[in-house]
Amino acid sequence: MNATCTPSTCAPAAPSGVTESLRKPLYHVNGNAEAYEVRVEMPGVPKSGVKLDLEDNILTVRGERNSNAREGLKALHRELSPLNYLLRLRLNTPVDEEKMTAKLEDGVLAITLPLRQTAKPRQITVN
Amino acid sequence: MKLLRTHPSAFARVSEFDAWFRHPLAGMPTLGQFFSHLGEVLPGATSDKLAVDVHEDKDAYHAHFEVPGVKKEDVKIELNNGLLTVTAEKRQKNGESESSHTLSRSISVPDGVNVEAITAKLEDGILNLTLPKAENKKPRSIELN
Repeated sequence: MNATCTPSTCAPAAPSGVTESLRKPLYHVNGNAEAYEVRVEMPGVPKSGVKLDLEDNILTVRGERNSNAREGLKALHRELSPLNYLLRLRLNTPVDEEKMTAKLEDGVLAITLPLRQTAKPRQITVN
Repeated sequence: MKLLRTHPSAFARVSEFDAWFRHPLAGMPTLGQFFSHLGEVLPGATSDKLAVDVHEDKDAYHAHFEVPGVKKEDVKIELNNGLLTVTAEKRQKNGESESSHTLSRSISVPDGVNVEAITAKLEDGILNLTLPKAENKKPRSIELN
């Protein structure tokens, strides 16, 4: 997989062949000896709009907003970005893909990446 | 204020110039520059102001505030003298410690809103406020006879 990836080249092909613009969400990473937790802020994205993928140590998070475009709705003031989200993170520690979990709550996706056994620090006792 | 007779000698001019440079604020940006710079350093996402969209249809105004990670019980909505203020407390866990910060935003309620009928809903990190228009303020079409 190509290491360099701009949102436009990573974007899934839009039906009409037009490349979609995407925005990088805010995220935080916490970790301990057991696992990493990545929290991605994606307000406006329902559970059905989240796509997660881990391939070749690259974690890809896509979030598709619930489009609230309704007829007869006139925008008076716009500050929120209507763009969908894309975040790609290169992991430099082997994680246990099978035990990876994700939970979406209040517009924040919490991804838990348990470290692979061999990647955990080991204590070696000296005899 | 005291009026002093100045002696326009070359030496005096040089020392005045020197004194100006030694002034503790010499070379400092003006207050105006300082604040505009602050604005650049702290863009919308990190400031304490909630981002908002306002839409209108024939029945109501709709305000959407981005509040990712904020729980329902940590949102406060107040209406005071035609000013609607949303305050959201965002709690974040960093390992064992927990931090929180408060975000808020006020919008003025447009004329002709039925204040009693304002509703709010929190969904996927977005707070949706519906401000229904009062019946007699809705646009009407008048039939020609």
